[in-house]
Amino acid sequence: MMQVKLRLNGEDRQLRCEPGDTLLRALRREGCFSVRYGSDTGETGAAAVLLDGRLVSADVLLAAQADGHEVTTLESLNVATGELHPIQAAFVETGALQGGYSAGAMVLAAKALLERSPEPTDAEIRDALSGILDRETGYAKVVEAVRRAATALRGEKPGPLDPPILEPIGLEAALAIRPPADSTPDAPLALPRMVLSPDVGHTAVVGKAEPKVEGLRLAKGNAAFADDIELRAMLHAKLLTSPYAHARIVAVDDSKARALSGVHEVLHHFNTPHVRYASGGQSWPNPYPYDQVSFDDKVRYVGDRVAAVAADTPETAEEACTLIDVTYEVLPAALSASEATGDGAPVIHDETDSVGIYDAARNLSHHIEGQTVSDEALEAAFASADHVFTQSFSVPAQQHTPIEPHAVVGWLDEDERLVLRSSTQVPFHLRRMVAPLVGREVKEIRVVKPRLGGGFGSKQEMVTEDVVGLLVLATRRPVSMVFNREQEFISSRTRHAQSLTFRTGVMSDGTLVAQDLTVLADTGAYGTHGFTVQSLTGARGLSSYNCPAKRYRCDVAYTNRPVAGAFRGYGAPQAFFALESHLDDVAAAIGLDPIELRRKNWVRTGDRLDIVPRLGERGGVEDVSEEDLPVVTSCGTERCVAEGVRAIGWQRRDDPSWRQPDDRPNIRRGIGLALCMQGSGIPFVDMGACSIKMNDDASFNLLAGAADLGTGADTIFAQIAAEVLGVRASDIIVLSGDTDVTPFDKGAYASSTTYISGMAVKRAAEAARARIVERAGRLLGIEEEWVELRDRRAWAPDGHSVPLEDIALNALHTEDQEQIMGIASHWSPDSPAPFGAQFAEVEVDVETGEVTVTKLVMAVDCGVPINPLTASGQVEGGMIQSLGYGLTEEIVLDGQGRPLNAAFGPYWIFRADDTPPTEVIFVQTMEHSGPFGAKSVGEIPIDGVAPAVRNAVRNATGVAIDTLPLTPERVWRALQGR
Amino acid sequence: MPVFVPASLEEAFAVLEGAPGAQLLAGGTDFMVEVNAGQRRPATVVALGAVPELKGWRLDGDEVVLGAGLTYTEMISPELAELVPGLAQAARTVGSPQIRNAGTLGGNIATASPAGDTLPMLMALGATMTLGRSDGGRRAVGLDELVVGPKRTTLQPGEVLLEVRVRAGAGRQEFLKVGTRNAMVIAVASAAVVVDFERRSVRVALGSVGPVVIRAEEVEREAAKLIDWDARRLVGPLEGSGDFGELVRTAARPIDDHRSTAAYRRHAAGVCVTRAFRRAFSSEESTAP
Ligand SMILES: Cc1cc2nc3c(=O)[nH]c(=O)nc-3n(C[C@H](O)[C@H](O)[C@H](O)COP(=O)(O)OP(=O)(O)OC[C@H]3O[C@@H](n4cnc5c(N)ncnc54)[C@H](O)[C@@H]3O)c2cc1C
Ligand code: FES
Repeated sequence: MMQVKLRLNGEDRQLRCEPGDTLLRALRREGCFSVRYGSDTGETGAAAVLLDGRLVSADVLLAAQADGHEVTTLESLNVATGELHPIQAAFVETGALQGGYSAGAMVLAAKALLERSPEPTDAEIRDALSGILDRETGYAKVVEAVRRAATALRGEKPGPLDPPILEPIGLEAALAIRPPADSTPDAPLALPRMVLSPDVGHTAVVGKAEPKVEGLRLAKGNAAFADDIELRAMLHAKLLTSPYAHARIVAVDDSKARALSGVHEVLHHFNTPHVRYASGGQSWPNPYPYDQVSFDDKVRYVGDRVAAVAADTPETAEEACTLIDVTYEVLPAALSASEATGDGAPVIHDETDSVGIYDAARNLSHHIEGQTVSDEALEAAFASADHVFTQSFSVPAQQHTPIEPHAVVGWLDEDERLVLRSSTQVPFHLRRMVAPLVGREVKEIRVVKPRLGGGFGSKQEMVTEDVVGLLVLATRRPVSMVFNREQEFISSRTRHAQSLTFRTGVMSDGTLVAQDLTVLADTGAYGTHGFTVQSLTGARGLSSYNCPAKRYRCDVAYTNRPVAGAFRGYGAPQAFFALESHLDDVAAAIGLDPIELRRKNWVRTGDRLDIVPRLGERGGVEDVSEEDLPVVTSCGTERCVAEGVRAIGWQRRDDPSWRQPDDRPNIRRGIGLALCMQGSGIPFVDMGACSIKMNDDASFNLLAGAADLGTGADTIFAQIAAEVLGVRASDIIVLSGDTDVTPFDKGAYASSTTYISGMAVKRAAEAARARIVERAGRLLGIEEEWVELRDRRAWAPDGHSVPLEDIALNALHTEDQEQIMGIASHWSPDSPAPFGAQFAEVEVDVETGEVTVTKLVMAVDCGVPINPLTASGQVEGGMIQSLGYGLTEEIVLDGQGRPLNAAFGPYWIFRADDTPPTEVIFVQTMEHSGPFGAKSVGEIPIDGVAPAVRNAVRNATGVAIDTLPLTPERVWRALQGR
Repeated sequence: MPVFVPASLEEAFAVLEGAPGAQLLAGGTDFMVEVNAGQRRPATVVALGAVPELKGWRLDGDEVVLGAGLTYTEMISPELAELVPGLAQAARTVGSPQIRNAGTLGGNIATASPAGDTLPMLMALGATMTLGRSDGGRRAVGLDELVVGPKRTTLQPGEVLLEVRVRAGAGRQEFLKVGTRNAMVIAVASAAVVVDFERRSVRVALGSVGPVVIRAEEVEREAAKLIDWDARRLVGPLEGSGDFGELVRTAARPIDDHRSTAAYRRHAAGVCVTRAFRRAFSSEESTAP
């Protein structure tokens, strides 16, 4: 032990530290929970603090290095209860905090910047934030927050935050605009622009840019995340993972590890239960295959679980991991889907007790087929086409990289029930799924979802909870487990890598007559989500355009690679990269404008989506009657394209003087487009529920099963309830995702939360409202159907009113007492699609192959956005994640299956200083089946940027690149081959 | 792992003498990454952050003396950037504000990464490093004598890198790198070019394309032929018979890795050097890449 003397947030302190403690560790021990773990390498910036006023990364600093210095954390700004410092306030108002995991670092970076530069330029702001990675916002709102904070700190009044309304433009008019080559696009906005629909009525709270309900919690860095609690006698768990891509575990000797002082438990194959399961957090019954066990006698990829240790400190647990003697019998590995499905490949799942594997001997976890006509009719359609094009694409395994890694704290409560405080998107599925693995009944388990620092689907998986549960039960002590960054890259989940081949029959006028999509997908070592993700690839690849003959075929292969699972977009980004790239090339080949070709075929309101119900493991032309096909109930595609064309300055793509600037001979410019669509929940399957009760002061407790993972779900719930109940969003106290307290919900995935859970909230609020208006009618002496709720009062048509507070007091205390409350659930036979058009403007350096995206535009029809601020945050963040998919992101393994880039840096995600300006346009449509007209928006933005960028590169250089990501070398090589 | 925080160079040397095998810690931005990854398990740590002799910089005649503890943020400061603009350019491309605030020149040199961003410029500037020992012994070495392989230096146990000397205002200095993105932690290729009009010399160094920073002397000789020293401009095109890019490609000794192939690195190095030259002779004031 050593003493470190420092001044912490203005107070002289002496910290007792181990000499090896990082400053991150020491500060969190002191209760500075705003300083957070993102990596051990200083790369995420989540652990940034001020040392003598300068931003440094506390994860790569010894506590001893702070000796004699002044250390400032976000907590220094938290002086008054319930109040925010102007910088914190600016972050909340602008929607700059989604997960808010790195709020502390960002606010401090802003503080340090504004102290030395009170009127910073955007470039200065972006540079100041460049060391703090944000996977959620796309940075537009963070930059705006710093601008606003600067204004406020200078004593000026920041402008209003109302989204500007656009005068709509028709597609013909938009296409007729000839922007001059030197026109500069509008200044980037942190606010979306709105194109309103006359079908949408007036609302008081819905549709407004309300700040997030958990804003204060996040902006102050309060202990809101899974790992932000410390329980007495808590142990720390670490995972030992496999160094081999494929091996049998012959023996495990844990004696040395157990002998290490401070070690409490070591779990591995030979001392844990053997229960097969699927880790995907999906509805009961979970889709096949059940091909995992908590600790198997085989490892199937580098990073697979081998053992887990619980010890007094993380360091001891880590050291114990190195002391576990594992005897492996190394097996040959298959490191690609084509290798795994080829002759003589090693069988990855040769166990006999796995359930539901499609063809284990051929390493196929699933096979999916679907077609709208018979094979003969399909071939006849191709034969009738003027042109037939075949093109193949290849897309890599992208990793979610939430800045908060998977984190769980588990303990036994006073009734000895197992509590798991987990960074999960699916608390209720998790409770059900973990029960058999830890040998407890569902009723003996409680899952609590705190705030999440990003998930993107990776936390729709049960990746760590069973291990923590087993360790808690074995040690009877609280146990905390946090993945380190390398594990988050390799041992959590990735997007499915795929090779896709489109064969398209098209007439000379651009009419599609036949579409045939064949996919080989890589699910990695386990088949979780393999069926549903790849079904969606088929659905999305073959739904955006009408075509009389369609077929989808897909093999999903096991490989000895990291496990693929759910990832925002869920099979759609792969499909849209192939589809939208392919159609662009088809249009060029037959001499049509890319928009013209698409317009000839895109689906419109009233069209039927014919492939979706036909996708299944059986395949063939299923007997689906026309009326049973889902119908497009609202569609803004054409208006989205028109707005996007105007915003990006589309026609410059045909202007040679713009495309090849005189003064920069190595630069070529281009503009590209991609269309996309998604669903809103899983029809007939997803269900959400909500309860609402009224308090003395006419505030309401809203309990929802849904899992806000930083997206703003809790906020829109408050808005929906407030709209129905005639109160402010701030009068709704939201608590979500606690299996003991809230009603059920399927969880946050499949773009279901606004559409499904939001509707449950609306219904629960309506039930509570019915009780309120009845009582109000009595108090006002009128029939209840005449009562209107607004501005926290109940109104009679003649202008008389009573405060809702009086009604609450009346109900709770004085007359015919009752708890005014409502409870409701909602499911839907529909999944109305949001539609979008994404545009990219690029510069290609033809000497180096570097692609710089200079602007991104997305015009999106998500029905009525309940909160344009949080919704546009979803779009901006999704676009930048998709930009990474297009340009930089890919898990790379060596010939032995070992990861080569499991760290930020070598795996590059975009930062504040290299993110292009983004523009978001909401094209309203009225979706009558959704709450206040809403459809989904969480996933669709991730669908179209990669193909739009790829199409822009082709527009700029003439080279078509069909493999992602578009690295400089890949582009350079393509240019060489031109 | 005891950690010492000496308050003077003398104290630092005293600790080093008493604890052979002790390891030096400056900003920690390389050191702590290795400690956290379990790749480095020091018996004793000597943190140099409080040693005043290693801090900051000063002028000594026509030389600038840079303390080993000089941070990237200090390299970018306007006063120093004026005297050694090439180093400021390199420093601006490093990591992030947090890393630039903590990371030091001495740490970058001693880490001896082929991708270390200050190294090509130090090589092109012909910098000399002063190393010191507890017995008062000092030696001055060039970069090629100090850094001999990837992560390998000739620093002896107990030896401390004290300072780095470069000539003040030595002509036009350009640093360029090609990476996956503009701001890259590890460049695919980088190049430093110094055109010293007073001494009529050209020096070119390449980073990330070999086990150590490579001085491209062939390129320097060829470049010198293309310069009209009196007019301070290029007389011939960089492309053509004695094609520059080709010479750079020949000088480079890169390997394939997951980020890029050797062929692409060679090519990128050529582009960097050619562009650095263009910029050195362009009328505009040079800015950061
Ligand atoms: C997120 C991140 C981004 C980075 N980006 C870049 C980048 O873009 N470009 C780049 O070049 N580097 C980068 N680095 C690497 C690192 O920041 C630099 O190499 C930095 O200069 C190291 O300096 P330091 O003071 O932190 O050294 P330390 O980590 O403290 O020490 C590094 C090594 O130098 C030795 N050492 C330090 N001082 C002395 C001395 N006076 N005498 C003898 N030996 C000494 C130490 O013993 C140790 O072996 C990055 C690192 C991180 C974590
Ligand atoms: S807070 Fe931005 S990535 Fe989570």
